[in-house]
Amino acid sequence: MRSTWFRPAHRRTAAAALVSALALTALAACGTSSSDSGSKGSGGGSSDPTAPLDPKAKVTLTMDCMPPAAKAAELRQWKEDVKTFNQKYPNVTINGKSTTGQCEEPTRFTAALKGKSQPDVFYTYFTDLQQVLDSDGAADITPYVTAKTVPALASIDTNVLNVLKKDGKLYGLPTSNYTMGLLINRKLFQQAGLDPNKPPTTWDEVRAASKAIAKLGNGVSGYGEYSAGNTGGWHFTATMYGLGGDIVSADGKKAAFNNDMGKQIVGNLKAMRWDDSSMGKTQLLKWGDLQKQISTDKLGMFLAAPDDITYMVQQLGAKYENFGMGPIPGGKATLFGGNDYMFKKGSTPDQIKAGLAWVNFKFLTPGKGQFDWARSKSDALPVGLPQPNLWTGDTKATDLKSRTDNATMPVDNFRTFLDNPVIGKAEPPKAQEIYKVLDNVMSGVLTNKNADAGKLLSTAETQVNQILANQ
Amino acid sequence: MSAPTLSTSSTPSKPEGPDRPVPAHAPREAFSRALRRNISAHGFLIGAVLCFSFFSWYPMVREVLLAFQKTEAGKTTWVGLRNLRYIANDPAFWQAWRNTLLFTGLALLLGFVVPFVIAIVLNEFRHGQSYLRLLVYLPVMLPPVASVLLFKYFYDPGYGLFNGILHALHLPEQQWLQSTSTAMLSVVLAATWMNMGGATLIYLAALQGIPGELYEAAELDGAGIFRKIWHVTIPQTRLILSLMLLMQIIATMQVFAEPFLLTGGAGPEGSTTTIVYLIYQYAFNFNNYGGAAALGLVLLVLLAGFSAAYVRLSRDSDD
Amino acid sequence: MAERTLISPAQLGRPSGKFLYWSALVVVLLLFTLIFLGPLYWMVTGGLKTAQEYAQSPPTAFPHSAHPKNYSDAWNVMDLSKLLFNTLYYAFGALAFQLVFDVAAAYSLSKLRPIFGKVILGMMLATLMIPATVLVVPQYLTVLDVPIVHRNLINSPWVIWLPSVTNAFNIFLLKRFFDSIPRELLDAASIDGASPLRTLRSVVLPISRPILGVVSIFAVVGVWKDFLWPLLTLPDPAKQNLNVGIYSLAQGVPENWLIAALAMASAPTLIIFLIFQRNIMSGLTAGSLKG
Repeated sequence: MRSTWFRPAHRRTAAAALVSALALTALAACGTSSSDSGSKGSGGGSSDPTAPLDPKAKVTLTMDCMPPAAKAAELRQWKEDVKTFNQKYPNVTINGKSTTGQCEEPTRFTAALKGKSQPDVFYTYFTDLQQVLDSDGAADITPYVTAKTVPALASIDTNVLNVLKKDGKLYGLPTSNYTMGLLINRKLFQQAGLDPNKPPTTWDEVRAASKAIAKLGNGVSGYGEYSAGNTGGWHFTATMYGLGGDIVSADGKKAAFNNDMGKQIVGNLKAMRWDDSSMGKTQLLKWGDLQKQISTDKLGMFLAAPDDITYMVQQLGAKYENFGMGPIPGGKATLFGGNDYMFKKGSTPDQIKAGLAWVNFKFLTPGKGQFDWARSKSDALPVGLPQPNLWTGDTKATDLKSRTDNATMPVDNFRTFLDNPVIGKAEPPKAQEIYKVLDNVMSGVLTNKNADAGKLLSTAETQVNQILANQ
Repeated sequence: MSAPTLSTSSTPSKPEGPDRPVPAHAPREAFSRALRRNISAHGFLIGAVLCFSFFSWYPMVREVLLAFQKTEAGKTTWVGLRNLRYIANDPAFWQAWRNTLLFTGLALLLGFVVPFVIAIVLNEFRHGQSYLRLLVYLPVMLPPVASVLLFKYFYDPGYGLFNGILHALHLPEQQWLQSTSTAMLSVVLAATWMNMGGATLIYLAALQGIPGELYEAAELDGAGIFRKIWHVTIPQTRLILSLMLLMQIIATMQVFAEPFLLTGGAGPEGSTTTIVYLIYQYAFNFNNYGGAAALGLVLLVLLAGFSAAYVRLSRDSDD
Repeated sequence: MAERTLISPAQLGRPSGKFLYWSALVVVLLLFTLIFLGPLYWMVTGGLKTAQEYAQSPPTAFPHSAHPKNYSDAWNVMDLSKLLFNTLYYAFGALAFQLVFDVAAAYSLSKLRPIFGKVILGMMLATLMIPATVLVVPQYLTVLDVPIVHRNLINSPWVIWLPSVTNAFNIFLLKRFFDSIPRELLDAASIDGASPLRTLRSVVLPISRPILGVVSIFAVVGVWKDFLWPLLTLPDPAKQNLNVGIYSLAQGVPENWLIAALAMASAPTLIIFLIFQRNIMSGLTAGSLKG
């Protein structure tokens, strides 16, 4: 489950490359192929999009993001689920396509879109919609998605569904989402005499905790922050949302961060980095660097999504019980993201219906597929992370209970994060271009002792305004 | 592949070379011979020509076209100068140019002068020269990623080797890559260490071709070491020096891997953002291929103009 | 080095000259060893340190305790054997393609002189003036969907091999060398009824060994050192070369393993270089001077 924020360049490759290196199953998923994976459905079936899939319809589908052989338990679950699914739809053939590494990796994804060789049902990040539409890659599934085809539809967080809509049309179904919070190293909190069950919730508290942790010495920093590869700007945005601010004005035309809140962010970082020296000397960090530091107990806190923990446990040898999470400091709103499945443009109605039925069964049915927490527990997969977080209302409560009952990690460590849900907020328009500019604010304050917060922000403001005005 | 054997030739003994005049009495044979020669010659060429067509000439044309197009909703349309306007309005564009020029300047200062000086020094030694040459060339053989990541560690302001050394010598520690004033210099230093071996060896070979009598003659005129370098060494190696200058400018203007790996590309406040890194960002992070192509086009025009000026300059000075 | 250089033998002969010479030599020897071997020493010993010692400030010159296990761990976890194999596969494949296509092309342009030969050569040389990185974007779009044949070359070795043939500099070097082969030699072969192919094989190539060596080095080193192109075109971790593989894995492994991996990744070329250093260095300088 890699998320949107790997977007900056090759962070995504980097992140999961290790797992694939360990595996190196020779799954030539992306070899030289000129043809589309276009397998067309045949046989009966109605072309009325609102009618559910006729079980008699013969359909063959290529399906993105089947777990690779290295993830044995996940792959076994996938196969089990296909079997169960085929009991109801015996005529649907699902050809899972697994990739070593991440399901989506930017250059490979772009390549597939440009060459129109994406699978019939393909995996994307929330932020990919514009790119997919630019290359005319996804079908409009609005008429297909109803309470009949996706029974839990009403329980899905509308904020999440809205990300997959453009001009009122729905182009994908979410399978996972996250919101950012403050990730802490419980061991260091204890050593520094802080309460690991009470992660800081304001930036003043973060600063105090950071100072206390850095006092441990031995190269330990209290708080860590990115400032390269567009990830610095991404975190600036998250921090801004936490304080209730915005990056771009509501009409999307002007920068909205050169204000007291922006100055507060920069001033606070400056205080931690230079006055308290609690952020370490090494800067220009990007995705992956802080994860490494916190896994080796060299870092106390940083902003992250819950699935960073899985990454650190699986790749960097960290332990679940060593981490805890609190809501994003400020708690006004938080950056969210996630991933989803889209349907290749040009698919037959039956293909879309079959794909929809499968996605619904595997990813959007409480208690089934990915939400069958009892099974995940018996398969020794991590259970208890506050992610995905798709549901609202009763469905959410039921799912959370099942998750807690089957937890394989101390769920209490995420208690403050769960008990203080923060409203999710999407990325600004032209996110990567703006993040690139905001990287400069971050690297400026973190590498230059005499950085002038006002000047950094006003330069960035001018530049972001230019980018927003640029057509 | 047809082989133009000479059995059908009407001309005795000596074969017809391509530039020899065709005998008037045998136009038909001459024609078919020329045809066969051409078929076989183009047969030899075809592999390379195909590769060039697909992977060099066609992309060159496409680069120019892309710069004036955009793709939206699967349709490609002409947008005139819009992409160029877009990049000119990108604040990072001018910064990237300043950085690229700074990098090129620094890289020439270090990467051009240092190897030449080293070559002159090494050329004087009658002992240990092959060992020294070996040393200078060693870094060239390392995978660049290995060298760059090694330097990244050396530069680390916390536990890096360079600050460790400065600390031991009681000198002020530096921020290296993490300061707008030293970031680019640090990148250039690493790049010079990695790449100067080739240039040094080439200069050494050139120096060894200088006739000793020239130095003797200069000494008779009472020239000291520096005057000898100025009046003998440099003029004698002028051709190779200017060739290397051209090659280095073209190479350094395209720098990507070093800043990308050392500072994550942008560096403190964008101080190591180069044009090529910006192209990379446009194409692969912003998904704006038109903008990327426009950026490339500007770089291309500049370098082409530069090359043309250079060719002209070198022709003039030969006269 | 019997030839006379900048400083006159008379000056060197004097006692003061001798003293200066030897002290300069010692200083330079020490300095160069430090500058060029020092980092390598650091790499090898850094890979032996514990993660704690590695991140210690100030750094230690000798590892407190040696942990060779870092090397085997890094080797296994980063699957360096695979990366090394891929790199060699790409490098020598590219070499083969260049030797076949570029030699044939240079031979044709130099000796067979087809019509439009001059134009083709000019167009090839023109690519030298175009910075390679400018073409990265259109080239990338081209390999996604190669015109006419409509193949996607991403993640396949062809994406490295075929574009490597467009090495105008090598063609230029080869052509210059072939130009210097006397016509009479080839004419003699033609009289014996040899086809151009046979002439190339039995006359031209044997006397072109030095230039072929140079071109081979350029070809292999070029692929070995390339970063941006394989970064874009080989996204599959199982297909990556050393440069890109290490870069992407660098995020996920402890620093001391990473540095051990760097040391191991550097070893093969260094060993090859040390064995063939004479040929490589003389070939390099000879080739570029002639060019």
